[in-house]
Amino acid sequence: MKIAISGKGGSGKTTISATLTRLIARRGLSVLAIDGDPNPNLIQALGVGPGVEAEAVPRSVVERRDDESGTPRHVLTRTVADIVSQYGLKAPDGVTVLVGTKIDHAGAG
Amino acid sequence: MDMEASIEHLSRGTVRYADVLLVVLEPYYRSMETAGRTVPLARELGIKRIYGIANKLRSPQDAEAVEAYCRNHDLELIAKIPFDENVVEADRTGRAVIDYDVTSPIVEELARTADFLLREVKVNGNGAGGN
Repeated sequence: MKIAISGKGGSGKTTISATLTRLIARRGLSVLAIDGDPNPNLIQALGVGPGVEAEAVPRSVVERRDDESGTPRHVLTRTVADIVSQYGLKAPDGVTVLVGTKIDHAGAG
Repeated sequence: MDMEASIEHLSRGTVRYADVLLVVLEPYYRSMETAGRTVPLARELGIKRIYGIANKLRSPQDAEAVEAYCRNHDLELIAKIPFDENVVEADRTGRAVIDYDVTSPIVEELARTADFLLREVKVNGNGAGGN
């Protein structure tokens, strides 16, 4: 099951995502958490110690290709397992977390 | 997946492949208006299971405001999280709120949400239709 969490900035999305992730993991499910916020802090909310940073998944794992009908589609250039094993960070309760986007430089977008 | 703020990810269709969308609402006009724009867009993208989660409720009036909004916008409210000082305290010490105090009101309410979502998986399948 893929769960997305949305809401206004400051509404508590990250705290809710992290807490729900840990609770679902405690119920015996394998959970992959993905931080899709350009200013990521899901890792800390999950309880990975302060100062720990994950290497963000690079944009090169996704490629734009046209399908048979000529509609552009975003496709993965590597398997999910491969991406998770390289960029996934271990969090408490057996949770794995990926950081999707990160803005390293002003204007880098 | 913890999404970025704003509804931009919806207009770009990033959440198209989600089985469930949880929309966090605070009992303030602007927060609820953001949710109000999110829900129709998400429905248009074909996400079938969309639920509201009320957060930072400080009074019964706050809860009523969110409940009324959800009723009027046909959004099922599955959690009502009270304002929880432990969230601030946990953040101050760089810890997860679940580690700071597992009996925190937010943790107890979200435990019910987790149970609800797992029941959904059992009833409707995990909905993981490939990518």
